[in-house]
Amino acid sequence: MATVLPPAPLNRPRTLVVGTAFITSAVLMFFGCLFAIYFSIRSDTMAWGMEWFPENAISLVPGGMNMATLTVSVATMAWAVYAVKNDDRVHAYLALILTALMGIAMINQTVFYYMDIALPIDHSEAALLLYVITGAHLVMVGVGVFWLGLLLLRAFGGQDTSRHRDLVSAASLYWYAMVFIYTFIWLFIYIGK
Amino acid sequence: MKNESTVVERIVTTTDSGTLSRYWIISAMVGLLFSSVTGLLVSLERIDLSAANIFSTADEVFQFWSAHRVSLVLIAVLPLMIGLATLVVPRQVGASRLVFPRMSAFSFWVWLFGALIIIIGFLANGGVGTPDAGSESQSVALTFVGVLLAIVGLCGASTSLLTTIVAGRIPGLALLEIPAFSWSVLIAGTMWIATLPVLAANVVLIYVDMRGREPVNFGSEQVAWEQISWAFTHPQVYLWVLPLLGVVAEIISAAFKGKPSNALLAISIGLMGLAGFGAYAQTYFDLGTPVFEEAFSIIHAFVAIPYVLFFIAVIAPVVVKNRKQFDKRAITPVVLAALSVVFLFQGVIVGALHVIGPLELATRSTVTSQIVLTLGAGVLAFMAAFAWWGELLTGKSISQQKVLITGIIFHLGVGLFAIADFLVGFTGQNDFTGASEFAAGTDSSNWGDALNIISLIGSSLFMVGVISAVAVGCQHAFSKTPAEGNPWDLETLEWAVGEKEEVA
Repeated sequence: MATVLPPAPLNRPRTLVVGTAFITSAVLMFFGCLFAIYFSIRSDTMAWGMEWFPENAISLVPGGMNMATLTVSVATMAWAVYAVKNDDRVHAYLALILTALMGIAMINQTVFYYMDIALPIDHSEAALLLYVITGAHLVMVGVGVFWLGLLLLRAFGGQDTSRHRDLVSAASLYWYAMVFIYTFIWLFIYIGK
Repeated sequence: MKNESTVVERIVTTTDSGTLSRYWIISAMVGLLFSSVTGLLVSLERIDLSAANIFSTADEVFQFWSAHRVSLVLIAVLPLMIGLATLVVPRQVGASRLVFPRMSAFSFWVWLFGALIIIIGFLANGGVGTPDAGSESQSVALTFVGVLLAIVGLCGASTSLLTTIVAGRIPGLALLEIPAFSWSVLIAGTMWIATLPVLAANVVLIYVDMRGREPVNFGSEQVAWEQISWAFTHPQVYLWVLPLLGVVAEIISAAFKGKPSNALLAISIGLMGLAGFGAYAQTYFDLGTPVFEEAFSIIHAFVAIPYVLFFIAVIAPVVVKNRKQFDKRAITPVVLAALSVVFLFQGVIVGALHVIGPLELATRSTVTSQIVLTLGAGVLAFMAAFAWWGELLTGKSISQQKVLITGIIFHLGVGLFAIADFLVGFTGQNDFTGASEFAAGTDSSNWGDALNIISLIGSSLFMVGVISAVAVGCQHAFSKTPAEGNPWDLETLEWAVGEKEEVA
């Protein structure tokens, strides 16, 4: 009786993960610059005894809700990676759909907050920086959700398997970085104001 | 199966690294030509501000002055380096092709689109803003969109190169054993990835504010340049030309048949990359605290150390120990590489002089001198690389003599341009001959006038050198003399690998 051997693991470098790491680093530097400018101008403004954000302009609730949503999405993203690694397609679908839904929920909440907030973009440097930083982050979330959609399509086609999990690993790296950046937004803009 | 794609389809959809590198280099040479024209016009205006009448307002002078710098970095020197790396790096690390070839191709087209928008923005009375807000606000915003697209393209191309080096190299080739040029691209690319997004963040902030009802601060035309100027001056300019150290090390070690210490080479280039990181030097955001200025001075002085290490520990031992084994066929690349590295060293010295407070050079035209020296060194290194790897690029035999003549013309241009601007800086001429000087006419001394004429001659030769380089490039492209295959008889990977395949 012939012995059926399992397929050999792919012997190739994880180029997609490495490339994503470089791109994610670039994105981190982009936000790093925005935060540096934010802190610098905020520090100057406060030193002159002027107000940064108008009283009650920034509500903690939307930021907190977004942070909670994204924190949960970290777990679901890790779940997706774990499921794909173990060729568990049903759980992979579920985890990817949930993560994407949380991303969409975050976008929805932020857009609602933009409509609700009584702070025009040309009110002050603080308002401009608020919209630029959170807006750029929103774009980052949008790209992440698009990527997850792509992953789902591939998963439905049976292409996200333990032998081909680089795309999921790369997407998770990007997603974690996105949540990491939002942690700063939540801490220093919504809480620290 | 018969290939039914049209010429245009083939041009737009190619993913071959050799073809893409040709695209990058041809486009960058056009960008360099544009940059040299802007530099020449500004030099012409400096001779006599009131009589030349090239520009009608100080704002126009400023537009061309800033266009010279922006285009020199973003649409000339940096793309030249990326084009060269796109050709050589995959071959040197034994990769069958660039990792992410489609992204690399996409990055080129995005960059090209951005570069065209930058030029159109400048021509439409925009540019990167003016001191008296005398430009078209819409055109300024358009220019910033172009800058952003160019940055996206450059970041994408860098990512592709970096991933090729890190994850796409041939099995068994350790990272510290990769050739000097690939190592320099690895360090440079990493630092480009770290600094270009910072510039992008500045640009986004300016653009968003500019497009609002009334700019609150960042989007005012008067202050736009101040926010991005860090990317076009000391120490950041060293980063844009960092691969030139790799070019020099490769050429010198092969021409003298010696091998520099891998560790020292890696350390010196790595330190240079670190010292060139200039994204923190955003003086617009009130960083002029004593602590910051002191740190800035230390870093300025520190920049010279890796260069000295590079000369003394990497290049000099190879040249001294193997001087009798020099391959005389390599005279052109060696001369151009040597001139390039001398310019770079001069640039570092001029940059270091800026921190000596009593000299008061920080806002003088010595800044222009330092930028021209450094970026000119980058272009000269590219010419040396063309003489060295040109056969891989064109597939034709390279006329070393023509490249050498072109390089020397360009060298003279950069030298005169930079020396004159350096000396005239000591007479008190400002880096940008600003609005007040424009209105009142130049008040420089006779020495100043004479030096400005020398600067004009230098910038003219700079342009002649670029035109000559374009002509030599075209001549090789249409030459019928086929490449020799391995003109330097080297047993290295880049000469062993044939033309790459397109991605299916």
